[in-house]
Amino acid sequence: MTDILATKPTVTRPPPPRPALALASAIGAFAIGALIAATIQSNLMMTLLTQAIISGILATGVGFLMRQNGAVSFGHAAFYGIACYAIALAMKFGAIRVEVAIMLALVLPTALAFLLGLVIVRIPGVAFSMLTLAVGQAFYEFAMKARQVTGGEDGFSVNLSSTVFGIPTAIFQDPHSMFVVSWSVLVLIILGLALTAASPFGRLTVAIRENEERARFIGYETTLPRVLVLTLSAFVTAVAGVLFTLYNSFVSPDVLHWSLSGSALIMAIIGGPRLIWGPALGAIIFFFAKDIAGDFTEHWQGIIGAILIVVMLVLPVGLGGALAKLWQRRLGHG
Amino acid sequence: MAETCAIEGDQLTRQFGGFRALKGVDLAVPRGEIRGLIGPNGAGKSTLIDVLSGRAPRWSGTVKMFGADIGAMTAQQRRRAGLARSFQRTNIFPDLTVIDQLELAARAAETPNIDEIMAELNLAALAFRRAADISYGDQRRLDLALALIGRPKILLLDEPAAGLSIKESLELAHGLKDLAARWGVTVLLVEHDMDVVFSICDRITVLHLGAILAEGTPEEIRGVPEVVTAYLGTSL
Amino acid sequence: MLVQILNGLVYGGLLYIVSVGLVLIFGLRRIVNFAHGSLFMLGAYVGFSVAVMGGFWGAILAAAIVLALVGALLDITILQPLQREDPIVTVLVTFGLLLILEDFAQFVWGKDFLKMPVPSMFSGSVLIVGESFPVYRLVVIAVAALVALGLSVWLRVSKIGLYVRASSADPLTTAMQGVNTDRVSVIVVALGAALAGISGTISAPLLALSPSMGSYILIESFIVVVVGGLGSFAGAFIAAIAIGQVHNLGLVYVPWAATMIPFLLMVAVLIWRPTGIAGSHV
Repeated sequence: MTDILATKPTVTRPPPPRPALALASAIGAFAIGALIAATIQSNLMMTLLTQAIISGILATGVGFLMRQNGAVSFGHAAFYGIACYAIALAMKFGAIRVEVAIMLALVLPTALAFLLGLVIVRIPGVAFSMLTLAVGQAFYEFAMKARQVTGGEDGFSVNLSSTVFGIPTAIFQDPHSMFVVSWSVLVLIILGLALTAASPFGRLTVAIRENEERARFIGYETTLPRVLVLTLSAFVTAVAGVLFTLYNSFVSPDVLHWSLSGSALIMAIIGGPRLIWGPALGAIIFFFAKDIAGDFTEHWQGIIGAILIVVMLVLPVGLGGALAKLWQRRLGHG
Repeated sequence: MAETCAIEGDQLTRQFGGFRALKGVDLAVPRGEIRGLIGPNGAGKSTLIDVLSGRAPRWSGTVKMFGADIGAMTAQQRRRAGLARSFQRTNIFPDLTVIDQLELAARAAETPNIDEIMAELNLAALAFRRAADISYGDQRRLDLALALIGRPKILLLDEPAAGLSIKESLELAHGLKDLAARWGVTVLLVEHDMDVVFSICDRITVLHLGAILAEGTPEEIRGVPEVVTAYLGTSL
Repeated sequence: MLVQILNGLVYGGLLYIVSVGLVLIFGLRRIVNFAHGSLFMLGAYVGFSVAVMGGFWGAILAAAIVLALVGALLDITILQPLQREDPIVTVLVTFGLLLILEDFAQFVWGKDFLKMPVPSMFSGSVLIVGESFPVYRLVVIAVAALVALGLSVWLRVSKIGLYVRASSADPLTTAMQGVNTDRVSVIVVALGAALAGISGTISAPLLALSPSMGSYILIESFIVVVVGGLGSFAGAFIAAIAIGQVHNLGLVYVPWAATMIPFLLMVAVLIWRPTGIAGSHV
């Protein structure tokens, strides 16, 4: 140990990140979205992009859980699908306004995630994943079986009113305008999650992910922070569900199926879950790959399975992670 | 005892499966003392530390801190009350930088000052390194630093010198003794390294097969034949 | 009523055979095979195809052999190399495998539901306490019981069985005993896969064959092993029987909620013993 009589220089910290930079990036991102919508004429391409972005939001939710809690969920479609059905059923059975239905669609899955989280967040690794698969499918099965309420396998159309929050519903159903809406929502969500991740709370949850025991032994409660991460992740996923329903005005048990959860998970992995924006990138890649593959083959499921395996074994940081590393290396070399 | 002890265990018993790791151990460490806890492998030393720090489930007896019963407190709560511990198998946050995890501990301990600890334990130069990338010896000191943040009142150390060289161990030991004196920390130290134990401990408790075999000053312990037979083997 | 219970035992028996394969693989390799349901599905399809030429026994034999080979391949190419990684990596890789196998089944056998007829030697029904019950279903119960018995004997008597039990309890120490872990694990994983395949084959006359039957049974088997205790053979047996009964009685009395019940059971077990499932015992 050092001589206590000598003067100790304090360790100089690097300058803190400037919020102005984050805001500037966000504004830039919004601009890019508007540019894309203005440039691309093809409705087909736009539809693809819009779906990709909505799925990107879903994938971002799944990825955030992976990043902050180190938990892999195979059941996030439950939160997505509950949001979809909440709007659909509220409009079908209740005489309530669509805005209230949307609020409900955001609150229900979030509240469910919180309550569920209190129980399941302490369950370690793989068992947690198994549980999420089962939970997700339970909701799917319910939607399939409860024909009276959910219309069963066929699903049903959603009655949206002519305006939503004062905005004409048509805006949400046209590929170009809906792209701008979804893209903007995605940017806001990524910004919000990035700020959360950089906050003391965010850093605490990463530490808990690294070593839950030591986190306790230095004085932290480790259950509630993780529950809050799951809750936030579910909220993001519910937002995706709301956008989906507004865009498609149709709901069916497909929105609850494990294959949707699995796809979102794969998008997050391809893009790289360590980055907040990684899963969204993964979603775009996923959709384009699927579209291109569809021209040549019917075996998309097998292909995406193979891609997942390859990424897991060869490039675990995902494409986004790889890009980020390359960028950092370029910056390092001036 | 007229003065309340810093940490006290009364009839501590821990049993798992059919095996009784602790059989009614009584322990009382006065304020400011450095108590060594020695014994052969399997004697129950780590188990005792686990019970005192809130890491062991299913135990019986009483644990008191400055006279107050803390048996119902979780590990987190005990830490916040000033009872800190280090770990035999290095228990740090591998992916975080040294400074990030110390700041994390500091926030929980509600103290802004980590420079002091980094200076004391020679970690300042490693501040921005990833914990997984630093040497084993440095990681051991980091493990210790995480326990020392916030100047805890009681320190339970589980083989802090494990895996360190003779020179590093003695440096650590004397640094600890010095720090404990300056900060007024009560220390309970589990160690296999007899040089460390005999050089810095005020008193020593010897554990064997889950029960206390002997207790006394280092000189007294040296003279107890059962201790020598059970554990030390060679002459000191 | 007896018929209901027997039907529950049929489903429970099928669940047990497939779930115990999952337990075998977990006990040894400490990983959860997300492709396990797909092995069940492959067993059903292979059995279906072979039954046409080779009859029922040929179907079972073929399924067992093919799936044992697939299992061995799975262990050698995926499970062993990934042994040192985080278990979640193996989960995701086997999940990828699930997708590939489901696609493969669709490619070979098509998306439509296939039906395999009950083997003629077991067709017909018997009277049990005044009620008619299909012979084949009794056969299924018998097979499940045989597997349970055979396994528990094998686990207690054979050297490999002893090793599996030891490894389930303490993988680290067992690995240090100098046993050739890799060779043993190929055998055990092959056995686990074969059991999944056999369960698939014998279930084929009872269920409709489709590429998605694998994911359905996977989730059910997850519930079984979680409720029974990950790594526990006895637990899997008890849980499979219990869930079989719940599944069946649920279908009869509260069909719309039937599928939620096992899940609720799973959550209830987890509330009661949240880390119990992470521990293991034989």
